Amino acid sequence: MAQTFLNLAQGVTGTLSTSNYVQGGITEADQWRVTSNFSGQANPITSNWERNDQTFDKIGTGWSQSSGVFTAPSTGIYYIEFTTTVNHNADERYIEAILQGDNGSVTLASSYGSIAIDESSATYAHMTSKAIYDITNTSSNSIRCRISREHSGGVTDGHSDKNYTYVTMLKLGDT
Amino acid sequence: MDYITGRPNHIEDYLCQLYSNQWFGWTDSKNKVYANLRLTEKIGVDGNIVNNPRSLPTEQECTDGLKAMQDDWDSKNG
Repeated sequence: MAQTFLNLAQGVTGTLSTSNYVQGGITEADQWRVTSNFSGQANPITSNWERNDQTFDKIGTGWSQSSGVFTAPSTGIYYIEFTTTVNHNADERYIEAILQGDNGSVTLASSYGSIAIDESSATYAHMTSKAIYDITNTSSNSIRCRISREHSGGVTDGHSDKNYTYVTMLKLGDT
Repeated sequence: MDYITGRPNHIEDYLCQLYSNQWFGWTDSKNKVYANLRLTEKIGVDGNIVNNPRSLPTEQECTDGLKAMQDDWDSKNG
């Protein structure tokens, strides 16, 4: 267990276990991204998830992930953000980025984009869905990400070195 | 795909157009060559996580498919 050395103005010295005082700052932060492109709908996005392995490692325990189902490391109130970059070489009236809670049974947040192509080539759109979610039960309050769109040929972008389609989770406090 | 021009330049572009959803991935996502191409175990369909029904194309099919996409792009944008 980590300990902090005390050296107060009064000359008192000793050690204090970190379990005996309140620490500031974020205790849980995690970020996962999709590493490969795919086309059409994915309900949910099940595969090719990886934890961000470039710009930081998780803070705290981190979320667990299996077949696109994300489980929080502990109960609490979390800020969760699902962002996606998409492209298509045809017009597309709607693309929806959906953040789901309760293992897919509720929509926490949703955002829409659309594409009007330029010069007969792939054109991009970007959506972000944000929610604050009170996770009182880590099993039943798992989250998932979903892409719904008008055309099956439209592409959702994924990359192993860049955050194109990704989800970020920050713990704000206790439930 | 070249992100500036939009011209297809990788077999991943062909694979995306072959079938929709997340039917493929890579054993090494930082080295996306045919030898590292794999089928995903599961895909998400209508809220359900189901077994992936697809099979991998051959390397030649990927090469030919990408070439066809490039020829199509060139004819429209050349």
